[in-house]
Amino acid sequence: MNVGEWLLFAAVLLVVPILTAGTIRKIKARLQNRVGPPLLQPLYNVVKLWRKGETVSEDATWIFRGAAVINLAVVLVVAALLPWVSFKPGLTGDDIFLFIYLLASARFFGILAALDTGSPFSAFSSSREATLSLLVEPAIVLSLVALALGAHSTSLGSIFAYGAAAGPAAAPVWIVAGCGLFLSSLVELSRMPVDDPTTHLELTMVHEAMLIENSGPNLALAEIAYTVRLTFLYGLTVQCFLHAVYAVAPVGMTLLAVLSVLGIFLLAAGTALLETVTVKLKWTRCPEFIAYALTMGLFACMAAIFRGGV
Amino acid sequence: MRLACQTIGSEELTSTLKPLTATDSHRLGLLTSLDGRQLVALVLDLKGRTAGLVRCELDQCHYSSLTPLIPQAHWFERALKDLFGITPAGHPRLKSNFVPEAFEATLAPLRSAGDRGKLAGEPPRDFRFLRVGGEGVYEVPVGPIHAGVIEPAHFRLSCLGEFICNLELRLGFLHRGVERRLTEVSWPNARFVAEAASSDTAAGNALAHAIAMESLLEVEVSPRARHLRTLALEVERIAMHIADIGGLGVDLGFLGVAAGLSRLRGAAVGLADLLSGSRFMRGYICPGGVTLAEGGRLSQLRAQAQKLRRDVRGFVQMFLDNASVQERLTDTGKVSRGLARDFGLVGVAARASGIAYDARQHFLHGDYPPLAPAPAVERGGDALDRTRVRARELETSFSILEAVLDEEFAGECAVALPQALPANEAACGIVEAFRGELIHLIFTDARGRISRYAIKDPSFNNWTGMAIAARNNLIADFPVANKSFALSYSGHDL
Repeated sequence: MNVGEWLLFAAVLLVVPILTAGTIRKIKARLQNRVGPPLLQPLYNVVKLWRKGETVSEDATWIFRGAAVINLAVVLVVAALLPWVSFKPGLTGDDIFLFIYLLASARFFGILAALDTGSPFSAFSSSREATLSLLVEPAIVLSLVALALGAHSTSLGSIFAYGAAAGPAAAPVWIVAGCGLFLSSLVELSRMPVDDPTTHLELTMVHEAMLIENSGPNLALAEIAYTVRLTFLYGLTVQCFLHAVYAVAPVGMTLLAVLSVLGIFLLAAGTALLETVTVKLKWTRCPEFIAYALTMGLFACMAAIFRGGV
Repeated sequence: MRLACQTIGSEELTSTLKPLTATDSHRLGLLTSLDGRQLVALVLDLKGRTAGLVRCELDQCHYSSLTPLIPQAHWFERALKDLFGITPAGHPRLKSNFVPEAFEATLAPLRSAGDRGKLAGEPPRDFRFLRVGGEGVYEVPVGPIHAGVIEPAHFRLSCLGEFICNLELRLGFLHRGVERRLTEVSWPNARFVAEAASSDTAAGNALAHAIAMESLLEVEVSPRARHLRTLALEVERIAMHIADIGGLGVDLGFLGVAAGLSRLRGAAVGLADLLSGSRFMRGYICPGGVTLAEGGRLSQLRAQAQKLRRDVRGFVQMFLDNASVQERLTDTGKVSRGLARDFGLVGVAARASGIAYDARQHFLHGDYPPLAPAPAVERGGDALDRTRVRARELETSFSILEAVLDEEFAGECAVALPQALPANEAACGIVEAFRGELIHLIFTDARGRISRYAIKDPSFNNWTGMAIAARNNLIADFPVANKSFALSYSGHDL
């Protein structure tokens, strides 16, 4: 095990999520003619919340207390498994299905915790979260399976390894799968157009209403988990696009590492732009949006099969 | 205008009012009481451009409810119970508009003090929510403290899955006793209380108050004051319509347009500042005229209004042309024309449902009716049509500003008022405020003091529309439907 590589990765894992979340907020504010919060505001928020007292619903049990910790733990394990930057050191056992079901288990505990508080807002938002995740899971699976078909392996490390250049013919699969993953990430992360992370209207929320009963350190844990999840899902999309570039024109490892991190910020900027100019979808229309992600996944699979991946 | 009064027996009440309100040419403007011993109905004659009072004396504290035959009366009858302790027997949904915890169940604040003994045998006010039964039906309580910085009210949504079966409103958190206070302050000071009845409608309320007072005092204002009042009323309409469309943008997550309109609303409020010296036009319109001369600022006002018009048009067009916006707003919060008519909705909500009623066409205020625009009528009655009505009214309001600025501003800012109010008279001021028909009704007693001051905010009619509109909508669309009505809480609660 290369200690230097792990230290670099840990440093990136500490810094990039905060800056990614901060970038989205800052650019969104600038696009609305506001100065916006400082880039490090997500960090200040967490520090502030950590010092605060908590109000916990009288109906809540240990599940509510435990879920925030479980959620963060699972998210950190996924961050360590998933090659969301080009320089992440490899781990054995990093299977795509492990990744998918670790994400699902984090969501499961999130939903349990929301239901545990007995608030009607948490209840209908967890129903919404369950519906969305049910619909979006096949889209993520198909996009990743398409990549696995190309690599003849379900290990994330070997799928996303930068080896010999695969040639321009590999690029379409990476691009289409990357698009599918990005659209799925928007749903997975409860961002526009499926959910509006800036809204103050409880009745329209998905993710925020699930956390509505959380306060103080519990909320801090949930915010950390969210920013990490945001970062590695965006990172995964960026890796797909970088592999498409690499397939056409192989570039050096240093440049890839820089592009990996820059790409995440670029997606964050794109998200901010998207969230300024789009309108949140009617709830009954959300499945149609997810259908785009699913279609991308299907196309990626077809492209992989035509390339003779099987 | 001064009001003539027709006195009838309580058994004739329905038979007199029903034929009047069944036609499109008449409306029930207000149904209230003076001190709990009588009922007074203000009937508006839209064709004849007049209004009249129908009064009947009550021996007891109850009478046979009008609501089963005249649905327009249903909210007024709730208020009768709250404020006077008068029970409308047979009212289908008699529910208090007061917060139960805030007042004693026997309190009837506007009933004359010597007459409270009669209340002993009457049922107390009722606060129960309508319960929706059935498997899977659950309740979502929202408010009274909301996530946004808005006024307080409690909404109880009975839902099945993602759909709303029934919405119960609990208003009354802002009951301040405005109507009572207006009879306690000296009449020259009443304007400060009257314009605060609903602070976002300061110009509208001040104008309705001024018109009612001027009718009592038999004072005619100068053309200059008339023009300046018209400008004030339209600038208020422009500012609030911009704010309401922008607010809808916030609720839809259309942040770019919302931010743009929020800035332009600031510019519109700047016009108000330029005109009146107050961004919210407080203390500007007064009985007799206005308090501040325009003093050469009109050309500046015209230039700023023209620039604002161009800017607003771009953003509103961007908003209404967006396919996702249309999709979110179409069929959201729908009120059919029939229900809008039956319940007597007013203003933007009524016109969106196809009712061509704009008080500017019918009643004397400012430069209206001569300068009144054609009512902006849409057919669908949904949130999109309410937004379209606002968009069209923005255009006409800017045109009215131009037309008024072309007029000659002759005469005094404010004329001197007589010392005393006439005795035993009644007068009302009817204004098309930005939300719709706003009525101030004033009665004087034998000594020439204000004995009863009734205010009917447009929201008083339209909250019913909101309750109807929420049904069978998605829970997630409720805030959008609510915003598209953009009703006043303080104006209702008074």
